[in-house]
Amino acid sequence: MGVVVVVGLSILVSLFIFELSFIVPTYAVAGMWILLALGLNVQWGYAGLINFSVAAFWGIGMYSVALLSAPGSPLGFEFNPGVALVAAIVVSALTALIIGIPTLRLRADYLAIASIGFAEIIRELVSNERELTAGTQGVSIPALLPELATSLDAVFAPDAPAFPYRGLVDFLLVAITVFVVYLFLRRLHISPWGRVLRTIRSDEDLAKALGKNTYWLKMQAFVLGSVLMAIAGFFYAYQFRFVLPETLEPINTFYVWVAVILGGTGSNRGAILGGLTLVAVRVFPSFFINFLALDVNVGAVRLLIVGLLIIGIVRFRPQGILPPRSELIWPAARDGGEKQ
Amino acid sequence: MANIVQMLADGLIFSCIIVLGAIGLSLIYSIADFANFAHGDLMTVGAFGGLVGATEFAKLLPGDSIVFFELPISLYFGLLFGMAAAAAVTLVTERLIYRPLKDAGSIELLITSIGIALAYRAIIQLSFGADQERYEIASQGRIDWFFEATQSLGGIALTQRDFVILVVTILLVVGLHTLLQYTTLGRKMRATADNPSLARVSGIRTREVVLAMWIIGGALAAAGGVFLGIDTLVRPRMGFDLLLVVFAAVILGGIGSVYGAMLGGLVIGMAHELTPAIPFVPVEYAPAVAFALMIIILLVRPQGIMGEAT
Repeated sequence: MGVVVVVGLSILVSLFIFELSFIVPTYAVAGMWILLALGLNVQWGYAGLINFSVAAFWGIGMYSVALLSAPGSPLGFEFNPGVALVAAIVVSALTALIIGIPTLRLRADYLAIASIGFAEIIRELVSNERELTAGTQGVSIPALLPELATSLDAVFAPDAPAFPYRGLVDFLLVAITVFVVYLFLRRLHISPWGRVLRTIRSDEDLAKALGKNTYWLKMQAFVLGSVLMAIAGFFYAYQFRFVLPETLEPINTFYVWVAVILGGTGSNRGAILGGLTLVAVRVFPSFFINFLALDVNVGAVRLLIVGLLIIGIVRFRPQGILPPRSELIWPAARDGGEKQ
Repeated sequence: MANIVQMLADGLIFSCIIVLGAIGLSLIYSIADFANFAHGDLMTVGAFGGLVGATEFAKLLPGDSIVFFELPISLYFGLLFGMAAAAAVTLVTERLIYRPLKDAGSIELLITSIGIALAYRAIIQLSFGADQERYEIASQGRIDWFFEATQSLGGIALTQRDFVILVVTILLVVGLHTLLQYTTLGRKMRATADNPSLARVSGIRTREVVLAMWIIGGALAAAGGVFLGIDTLVRPRMGFDLLLVVFAAVILGGIGSVYGAMLGGLVIGMAHELTPAIPFVPVEYAPAVAFALMIIILLVRPQGIMGEAT
C-alpha cells in the first residue's frame, strides 16, 4: 500500500502549491497516463515486447468515444459511453491480434520497427479518412456523466458556479479504474501466468523447452496491454473533450515509454510513479516559462527533457526508480533479456 | 504510360535521398548492432547545418552571383558544411553517450537512440523555431531539352536541381564504393561489419573503424537531409518523418549490406512515388505504402534481398 501513500502525499503536496480547480483535472490526466504506463508495462515489463504503437491503441480508445458517442461524430450514432467503452475494448483487442499475429514472432528490434510502422499506418488512416473520422478537423465530445457532475457540485459547492469540481467525475472514474487495474495486475504479476511471462522475457528458449507456448502467451500480454491503452484513450476523450489525429503521433508513445522505464521496467508501482512524473514533466515547463516570462518554445523544452531523461535513465539507472522487488525467480530474470 | 515514366523519374530522385539515409543506418545497424532511431533526426541536423552554411557563405561571397545548374554556389558550400556538421554531431554523440554504454545490449541502445532523436529535434526547435524554413533558391521549371528528348516516352519533366541531386548522390555512392573496395580503411570496415570479434583478433583497431563509420553515416545522412530540404522544405520533423521509410530500405536491402541499402533505397523510393499508380490507394498514403512494404519484408524475408552481413 506504499503506492497509495505516495500518490496521497503527492496530491497533498500539490494542494499547497496549486488551486483545486487545477489539481483535480491534472490528476485525472495523470491517472490516464498511469493507465497507459500500466498497459505498456504488461507488454514490455512483463513480456519484453518492444511495442512502439502505444499511441495507436490510445487513439483507438479515444476515437471509439468520438465516433460512437459524440454528437459531432461523422457517423452520427450517439450511443451511450458504455457502448463506446465496450467498442474501445473490442476494437483494440482485435487490432492487437491483427498486429500481433504476424509481428510477435519477430526479433525484438524488428518488432519495434514494425509496430511503429503499424501505428503510423493507423494514424494516416485516421487523418485521411475524413468521412469516417472527420480527419484533422477533430471531433468534440460532451462531458462524461453530466448529471453526476451537477449533483456533486450541488453537494460540495452549492453556492459556487459549476467551477470548483470541474473534472471531479473524470478524476474519480480514472482513480477507481487505476486502482482496480493495479490490483488486478499485481495479482497477475505473482500468478503462474506472470511468472511464465517473466521467464519468456529473460530466456524465451528456456520457456519453450519447458513446454510453454511462448507465442500465445506473448499475444495475451500484448492484447491485455493494448486494451488498457484503449481504456486510457477512452478517458482521454472525456477529459480533453476533443480528439485530433495529432494525438496519435509517435511522440506520445515515447512519453509512455519514459514513464515505464523511469518508474522501473516490470514494476507496477514504477508505472504509477512514472505516470505522475510524466505529468510533472508536461506541466512544469510551461509553468516555469510563464513564471519567468521566457520566450522559448514549450514543446521543444518538453521534448528536450524527455530526450535527456531517456538517455540519462539508460545510462545511470537502467532498472528505474522503483524496480520490481525480488521475486520467486532467478536474479538474472529481473534484469530482463539483455544478454541475447 | 506517360504518367508512370514521370513517376519513375520522380521516384529516382526521391530514392537518392532514401539511399543516402539508408547507407549510414545500415552501417550503424550492423557495426554498432542496434536500430538507430536518431538517424532520421541526424538528416534534419544536416539539413539545418546546410541552411546555416548556405546563409553564411552567401554573406561571404560577393553578391552570390555564381550559379551552378541554377543553384547558388553558397548552397554547395552549405551542403559540405551540413555534412561536416552532422559528422561532428555524430562524433560528439558517440563520445558522450554511446561510448559509456558500450556494454549495453542492443535494446538499451535502441531506446537511448530515441532519446537522442528527441534531443536533436528539441535543440533544433530551440535554435531555429518550430516553423519550416527553405533554402534560398529560385523556383525552377523543367529542363526543356530533356523534356523534348524524352518525348517518345511522353516527356519527363525534371528540374536542374533534380539532376544535381542525382549526380551528387551518384558521386557520393561511387566514392563510398571506392573507399570500401580499394582502401585499407574500407577493407577494415567490411571486415568489422562482417565479424567484429574476428576483426579485432586480426589486429584491426575496430574503435577507429566504428568512428569512421559514424562519420561516413552522418555525412551521407546530412547530404540526404539537404537534398530533402532542396526538394521540399526544411522542417524540424523532416528527418523523423522519413525515418521509417529509410528503415524500410535498410531492411529490404539486408541489414549491414551497403549495396543492399542502395538497392533497397531505390525500390522503396520508387514505391513511395508510384503510390498514385496503385488502384484504390489515394496519394496521401505514400508513406503508409512504404511502411506496409517494410512490414511485409520483415515477415517474408527479414534477412533482406542482399542477405544479412553478420
